[in-house]
Amino acid sequence: MSPLIFIVWMLNVVVDTGGQLAFKAAAAHGDEGGGMAHWRAMARRPWLWLGIIFFCAEFIFWLVFLSLVPLSEGILLGSLNIVAVLVGGRLIFNERLNSRCLLGIFLIAAGVAIVGLA
Amino acid sequence: MNMRRFYLFGFLLLLSFDTVSQLSFKLAANHAIPLVIAPSWLFRVATAPWIYGAVLGYLGAFVTYMSLLRHAPVGAAFAASHLQVVSVILVSAWLFHERLSLAELLGSALIVGGILVLSTNKSDTRHADSAAALLTDDHPGS
Repeated sequence: MSPLIFIVWMLNVVVDTGGQLAFKAAAAHGDEGGGMAHWRAMARRPWLWLGIIFFCAEFIFWLVFLSLVPLSEGILLGSLNIVAVLVGGRLIFNERLNSRCLLGIFLIAAGVAIVGLA
Repeated sequence: MNMRRFYLFGFLLLLSFDTVSQLSFKLAANHAIPLVIAPSWLFRVATAPWIYGAVLGYLGAFVTYMSLLRHAPVGAAFAASHLQVVSVILVSAWLFHERLSLAELLGSALIVGGILVLSTNKSDTRHADSAAALLTDDHPGS
């Protein structure tokens, strides 16, 4: 893997994970009501907008990444995002990582490492 | 509609949006070749019809995902949404004639195995509560 591909890959992981965590913060606002009330409650707080900014950045970075690698390889390397989001959820939202979570993280990380080195 | 069906339908919808989106991204990226850090590249992206398919897929996935995420823990929701790995690899083999090497196939099997382990993990509703508590004032110190 060339240094350029690696850097673009890591940029994607950073903005994707940041976006996912921001969306979780937006969605779990704790206010009553569903439907439009849910969307209004999300729009009042910064998290939804922060998430949208991260995802716009990811839009460009992902396009650059897919210009450099085949689609199937890109989507496999992109699975590293799952590991990053789980770790982020643990650090920021105190979500528990039970032994099954740790097994899943290990399997994905091992698989991504194999694809990355292949 | 019970919650199980709601989630199944939601995740299948999400899977379809994500697959169409990824496919469109690759077609748009191919259309915009050569890759250069210049306005000319952005112009070629903007004039690739497929980029608008990617945008529509993104928007559809976004609305679906946000509706699911209200109650699903972010880890499980995100993992299940990544089963697009399988559909995208199949579509890439079919449309772009991409072939995975033996090592890449082994890696994919591990990744898909990991996603399945995560997405079938018994979800803990305290996840959502802890996130809500963190962001509202009526649960100080939690």
